[in-house]
Amino acid sequence: MSDFVAATQALTIAEDWLTPLRERGRSCWQAWSLPTRKTEAWKYTSLSSVLKPDYRFDVSAPSNDVDAQWKIDDLDANVMVFVDGVFSARLSELDERELSVCRFSEADATQQALIESELNAHIDLEQQGFAALNTQTLGEGVLVHVAAAAQPDKALHIVWVSSSPEQATYCSARVLVVVESGAQAQVIEHYVGSPSAEVLTNSVTELVLRDNARLTYYRLHEEAGAANHIGGVHAVLGRAAHLDSFFLTFGSDLKRLDIVVHHRGEGGESYINGVYLPREKQHIDVHTSIEHAVPHCNSNETFRGIVADSARAVFNGRIHIHRDAQKTEAYLSNKNLLTSNKAEVDTKPELEIYADDVRCAHGATVAQLDKEAVHYLKTRGVSQEEALVMLSFGFINELFTDLSIPAVGNYARPKLAALFARESDLTRHLL
Amino acid sequence: MLTIDSLNAEVEDKAILKGLSLEVKPGEVHAIMGPNGAGKSTLGHVLSGREGYEVTGGRVDFHGKDLLDLETEERAREGLFLAFQYPVEIPGVSNMEFLKAAVDAVREHRGLEALDAVNFMKKAREACKAVNLKQDFLKRGVNEGFSGGEKKRNEIMQMMLLEPSLAILDETDSGLDIDALQVVADGVNALRSPERSFIVVTHYQRLLNYIEPDYVHVLADGRIVKSGDKSLALELEEKGYAWLEDEVNG
Amino acid sequence: MSQEQIDRLIKKEYAAGFVSNIESETLPPGLDENVIRFISGKKNEPEWMLEWRLKAYRAWLEMEEPEWAHVAYEKTDYQAVSYYSAPKSMADKPKSLDEVDPELLETYNKLGIPLHEQEMLAGVAVDAVFDSVSVATTFRSKLKEAGVIFCSISEAIQEYPELVKKYLGSVVPQKDNFFAALNSAVFSDGSFVYIPKGVRCPMELSTYFRINESNTGQFERTLIVADEGSHVSYLEGCTAPMRDENQLHAAVVELVALDNANIKYSTVQNWYPGDSEGKGGIYNFVTKRGIAHDHARISWTQVETGSAVTWKYPSCVLKGDHSVGEFYSVALTNNCQQADTGTKMIHLGKNTRSTIISKGISAGRSSNAYRGLVRMNPGAEGARNYTQCDSLLIGDTCAAHTFPYIESKNPSAIIEHEATTSKVSDDQLYLCQQRGIDVEKAVSMIVNGFCKEVFKELPMEFAVEAGKLLEVSLEGSVG
Repeated sequence: MSDFVAATQALTIAEDWLTPLRERGRSCWQAWSLPTRKTEAWKYTSLSSVLKPDYRFDVSAPSNDVDAQWKIDDLDANVMVFVDGVFSARLSELDERELSVCRFSEADATQQALIESELNAHIDLEQQGFAALNTQTLGEGVLVHVAAAAQPDKALHIVWVSSSPEQATYCSARVLVVVESGAQAQVIEHYVGSPSAEVLTNSVTELVLRDNARLTYYRLHEEAGAANHIGGVHAVLGRAAHLDSFFLTFGSDLKRLDIVVHHRGEGGESYINGVYLPREKQHIDVHTSIEHAVPHCNSNETFRGIVADSARAVFNGRIHIHRDAQKTEAYLSNKNLLTSNKAEVDTKPELEIYADDVRCAHGATVAQLDKEAVHYLKTRGVSQEEALVMLSFGFINELFTDLSIPAVGNYARPKLAALFARESDLTRHLL
Repeated sequence: MLTIDSLNAEVEDKAILKGLSLEVKPGEVHAIMGPNGAGKSTLGHVLSGREGYEVTGGRVDFHGKDLLDLETEERAREGLFLAFQYPVEIPGVSNMEFLKAAVDAVREHRGLEALDAVNFMKKAREACKAVNLKQDFLKRGVNEGFSGGEKKRNEIMQMMLLEPSLAILDETDSGLDIDALQVVADGVNALRSPERSFIVVTHYQRLLNYIEPDYVHVLADGRIVKSGDKSLALELEEKGYAWLEDEVNG
Repeated sequence: MSQEQIDRLIKKEYAAGFVSNIESETLPPGLDENVIRFISGKKNEPEWMLEWRLKAYRAWLEMEEPEWAHVAYEKTDYQAVSYYSAPKSMADKPKSLDEVDPELLETYNKLGIPLHEQEMLAGVAVDAVFDSVSVATTFRSKLKEAGVIFCSISEAIQEYPELVKKYLGSVVPQKDNFFAALNSAVFSDGSFVYIPKGVRCPMELSTYFRINESNTGQFERTLIVADEGSHVSYLEGCTAPMRDENQLHAAVVELVALDNANIKYSTVQNWYPGDSEGKGGIYNFVTKRGIAHDHARISWTQVETGSAVTWKYPSCVLKGDHSVGEFYSVALTNNCQQADTGTKMIHLGKNTRSTIISKGISAGRSSNAYRGLVRMNPGAEGARNYTQCDSLLIGDTCAAHTFPYIESKNPSAIIEHEATTSKVSDDQLYLCQQRGIDVEKAVSMIVNGFCKEVFKELPMEFAVEAGKLLEVSLEGSVG
């Protein structure tokens, strides 16, 4: 792992208006010590298999060797596609008149100023080493800036594709969403890759919701094979802001996702839901932290996982109620199914509470499918195999039925059903 | 149709059924009554093949097949239906998906073509209507958030769609008010035919006012201790079960 | 409730805070191999015991004191602590209670633990440990009739060396953790219990720990072995005088429940918590663990109201098939107290069951954390755990935390964890007041109700004491 660090230290810093940011990223990354098994936040996840020195860091031209699908049917959206971190105009479908979106490289003076003031504004780079590294290696990024009271007609679908490069590749992905007062937006961030890709993606997404802003943010991770990922999502909510977020993860050897939601204005409301589905020898680690710094906010978090084969899932859900955050309501539910003798799940729902007049609860379960339910289906003539598929699907489908962008649910459902069924026939009653 | 011959069964190493015998012919309705703990519900679960209900003796013939040799779902496909006393909730799996999977499986087994979506929907809606359930129940998770009465009506609706040759109603009347009881009974009566039989398990005579049995059996301590016609039910209602125990223990 | 009322109530005195005027033989502060040889020599221990201690000491030298998130305290200077203190009068072992220093007996009397035969707690056999030594064990002959061994660990080393050799360190190895290693090196006394096969212990067994001398650490060691098919219920109580400095209490408790045995271990911990400014108080760094063999049951019940800092995770290793582990806990912190307590349930055997009920109550500026681990190993076929962690906050300056680690490697195991937080609400108080109940009583009622599930696991005498203790520790801390 130290060779990886050495390789990053040897990188030259690109020269442009973002250089000071990169420099700061570099110094924080260099000062940071890599996590060990004794580092609480990395207790169950080792990075030794993904922090390798031989990554190619300097991807400049988009690869055309793209073997992945990302189209979401019936989604009315602008689509921006990045291949190995490089923007592909050919693959993107961006309405010229859409003013709320730009790449960092196209930013005008106002947009540059916004990026300079907001980027990393809510991330403790000294503690978040990979966010620091992402900042150091900042290449292309996406700024979504929704003007006050604006309601763009279309959603924004940002796709990060891993191609099948000859050499293992490191890419950084960066998204900054600023939703001004009273505005609304829908952003779908989507990671896909060809099964033969050998990639480490280091992503940072910042969501800034000003007072009364509403943001729907869905994040789909369906990279395959050795397209590994270390990602962070940092949301900040102003007064009466509303965040509806959903995270779907499955598919590649290792994924680590840190989700942090800061309630900084009273009356804010956040939904943080997600599903993780590791199988084979995959490892998915989701860490969430909901920071209630002010009174009168609500957060609701539901994560479910099905862990199959020799896979491992790690979930850590923290609710932190600061001293003055009275009248907070915060709930967390985490349910897990283990479907194999070799699978493992490690979950830790945490409460850290410094205010008394609050309502907080969390629950976590680990089990296998409900035997009663399996039996019930069988008494109705459904085969054991189909019953298992139906119930596995049902277990996570509950979270998909409430999505406010139904097209995303429709897109994901067949993929999920296929994950559970070795024969497609077993999913015929689900779709 | 169904012949149970000295059936013995255990639950958690405890003998519950101790030599139970019963013969059900096509078109007959048999009521099984008895005190709590007599093994009434166990009978239904043993016949449907629930895990944890271990048969330790006896045999069961169903349409000429050894029922106990079949998997739970095979028994269902052969035409055995159990209406549960406590139907389980399955959130996330819609009633519609569930019913279609069941109907397809049963029809396939019977050599019938799968119903297309339109025809299936039509049948499902009719069944819904017959048991007085609103159609949006079809979209909800199986039994999810249903009231006790709604769950029981959902069981009857499934019975209508699956068209079994033998239906076992396990205390379907428990927890139902008069109106719901009437709906359930109407559903059952509508399905009565010369080919279809019923075993109605109940603690109270009340249900038998609505579903008239051909035979009434009293189950006590794991066996049938007395059989008769529907007047036996009235006698039980009047005298309770204690006199029977005295008579049997003599 | 007004700030004034709160302040008045918080200022309740610590009732067990008196100092007994007893002449003691106390070793000067400091720790090296000579100190260990001294302790071992003082107790006339066999060579193997000394070697065992020295091995632990050498391991301890290599270990680092753990750092805990959310717990802040001034680290102990281990060279400034005295590792042995005994009442002088105990030097030539008193043969019977009549020979015990009356001042000592009076100390226990004041604490409500009469040791005199005629006044003894009915049905409870007591081992009283004063600073580093056991001063008296009551009801010994009656227990002997049943074949039960209940004596100080020092005596057990002399009289039952084979049992001690076999089981000491078998549950908590010398190198288990920093404090367990220190304890293994310097433990001075503690209780030993052996229940023979098939015996149901005829009475409750109890040890009462008292720290009296200043600048001493207490390092007791308790070993309970319940042979196949036996039953025992064991109670532990603790107090210390009010002193300005922090005193260290680093105990080790080991439980061995052989096949079909049943051990119930109850603690009411009321070490001096320090004053309202956080000065003084006991550092309670305790390692408690039990191993349950086939069909055995180990049940921990604790009511923790004392100590400045508590670090304690009574644990069960469910090794045998069908074994059962239970943890029922009430931890109350007030003023500047910090508690980090919970349990570990390690499921190794098939169809093992564990239940965790934890009730944390935080008041004042205190911090109260539940930290627990439930682990289902690959062999834990059909195992089950149920955990319920509830926190009650009283006032807006305290903190309550929940850190449950859940690790499962067996798909047939079922784990359920739930946690909630609540406060004593103004509405609840208002209702009580409107019905004529004063605020103090109302709070006490609500808190007692909150803890009911745990209190009902305590033996009768303790349940009453625990309720009262809570009332005293808590009174008036409502905002």
